[in-house]
Amino acid sequence: MPSAAPDGRFILPSFTRTTAFRLTLLSAALFAFSSFVILALVYAATITAGVRRADNAIAQESVTIEARFRAEGVAAANRYIVQRSVAGGEFLYLLNQPSGRRLSGNISNLPATQPDAQGRVRFTYERAPLGGQSTAEPSRAARGLITTLEGGYTLFVGLDVEDEARFVTYILNAVLIASGLAVAMGIVSGAVVSRRFSRRLDDINAAAREVMAGRLQTRAPRNFSGDELDDLASNFNDMLDRVERLMQRMRSAGDSIAHDLRLPLTRMRGRLEAALVEAGDIADREAALSQAISDADELLKTFNAVLSLSRLQTGERRRAFETLDPAEIIADVAELYEPLCEETGHDFAMDAAPGLAILGDRELVAQAIANIVDNAIKYTPEGGAIMLRLRSASDGAVEISVTDTGPGIPPDERPRVLERFVRLEASRNRPGVGLGLSLVQAIAEVHGAELTLDDGPGGVDGSGPGLRIALRFPRHRE
Amino acid sequence: MRILIMEDDKQVAAFMCRGLREAGHVSDAAHDGEDGLEMARDGQYDVLVVDRMMPRRDGLSVIETLRAEGMATPILILSALGEVDDRVDGLKSGADDYLVKPYAFAELLARVEVLARRRDPGAVQTQLTVGDLEMDLLARTVKRGGEDVLLQPREFRLLEFLMRHAGQVVTRTMLLEKVWDYHFDPQTNVIDVHISRLRSKIDKPFGSTMLHTVRGAGYRLQA
Repeated sequence: MPSAAPDGRFILPSFTRTTAFRLTLLSAALFAFSSFVILALVYAATITAGVRRADNAIAQESVTIEARFRAEGVAAANRYIVQRSVAGGEFLYLLNQPSGRRLSGNISNLPATQPDAQGRVRFTYERAPLGGQSTAEPSRAARGLITTLEGGYTLFVGLDVEDEARFVTYILNAVLIASGLAVAMGIVSGAVVSRRFSRRLDDINAAAREVMAGRLQTRAPRNFSGDELDDLASNFNDMLDRVERLMQRMRSAGDSIAHDLRLPLTRMRGRLEAALVEAGDIADREAALSQAISDADELLKTFNAVLSLSRLQTGERRRAFETLDPAEIIADVAELYEPLCEETGHDFAMDAAPGLAILGDRELVAQAIANIVDNAIKYTPEGGAIMLRLRSASDGAVEISVTDTGPGIPPDERPRVLERFVRLEASRNRPGVGLGLSLVQAIAEVHGAELTLDDGPGGVDGSGPGLRIALRFPRHRE
Repeated sequence: MRILIMEDDKQVAAFMCRGLREAGHVSDAAHDGEDGLEMARDGQYDVLVVDRMMPRRDGLSVIETLRAEGMATPILILSALGEVDDRVDGLKSGADDYLVKPYAFAELLARVEVLARRRDPGAVQTQLTVGDLEMDLLARTVKRGGEDVLLQPREFRLLEFLMRHAGQVVTRTMLLEKVWDYHFDPQTNVIDVHISRLRSKIDKPFGSTMLHTVRGAGYRLQA
């Protein structure tokens, strides 16, 4: 119900402001209008056809009488009219003498209305009471034709069109009522539809407000019908999931950065302090200072790695991706690391299938592989083997894998390794490891690639199962 | 040599100037883009070090303007990581080298010195000579003291870069960028291993060291 606003204006109920209501109302109005137009056309056509039929019948009857009059004289015409009147046909007749006196017919006077140039006339009349009926009927609509015959006789032939006129009026009323009903039903269905629609939108809006109020776990309810509102709710929820993930990452990033940077900073501070306090010889002091510089460099490295990881994880894509030959990339990485492996006493092998293509950023893919190889070298004991391999997987994916014979990672620890900054307890004392695999994971995500960790072929000298890290890129076809 | 530093942080700029002075260079500092542009136009500098983010006029615009005016002075652009496509943008604007903040001063110094002594790119060299070390760029051969030294293709490129910058400090990052075309930072010092391999071929058999390690900075090839 409309209610009065403080300033005296009326405010429509809230559902009338919804898009759904307005759209329904608009379509109802359009429907009402178009049905009105169609029915109005039908109405006009019916009237025209009725009038023409009546006029034709009148003209024909009039001509018949006129022909009789001409052939056999006034008496014959008179007789015909009397016969027809008595027979109770639908026609109205009047034959007047030149003097204007009524000669015969079933009405008493000529219509009062003025005939047009052809003698046609529209009029109303009151039917003479019939039989026992005492009350006069209300006036009825009729059409007629006035013809002047030879010798000054006036012939009038008319036809009652009251029934047709009534029929037309019924149609007209029906049209108006139907249009009104269409609008009314439009308002009602609009209200119903908009209530339904806005209730579901309200749910989504309520969820959004909850999230804005800080309750990040809130999700919009879904009815899984797959309609557009359900789709909206689903996308809305996915978006919130992503936002929540990013926020979690950021939150843990704060702690982890603090942890990653605090240790080397403390160490560096200690060294500098010692160099300041201890009045040792110049060489000692220099050694302490250069050690502090390399601590600082280590810090810078970590810092840069944190920054590039952040950029990757926020989904920022650096450059347009291009078609890459993964064989070239892994050959380059292998070439970069092969001397290191030789020095660290690892057996390094590479096996690359030619003719594969992926879409990506050369630099990032190379960095990911370099990180994995780096990790493998760090964790595989001397004498172990590292295998860098590129092949086309059976499902068509392009798989780059690094297999080592190190201690491996227990299956329950694997998901955690890929989280940002996480270091396995056992490896905490080694520098620069925490970022490696999370960076690989971020690079994989940017490329739509899948990062998997599996047991390797068995560790060297029984140290563990080994590790096989694979990056599965979607194959690129041009 | 004369170096102009455009850096809005006065402390950082002062620190850079002092470091450069200690390394034997003359340097001036400008603290915003407009001042920097004026000073770069007037002074005869050998290298410009331009911070990307500066008040009044940003670094890219300064570089573009100077290049449009026909200035050929080598430019090193400094930028904080986190800007999209920063390296590509920086080089596209006309800078010659690019360094991400935070950086080690040794890295900055090495790059500035390399830029300042850049050879004229128009002159095509076919022969590089450092002391008794000779490199034939056409035949892809290396000789030391007249004796052939056999190098792998990558070792050849590594040595070529070192010879082109003989007497200058080149950092590990520079080698990774210029020889391997990688702009990321490997966790381990893989470069050191490549250098030691190269050493075993060009230095060890000949008894005297040409390829020196510069502590805290990188390497230097010197006769």
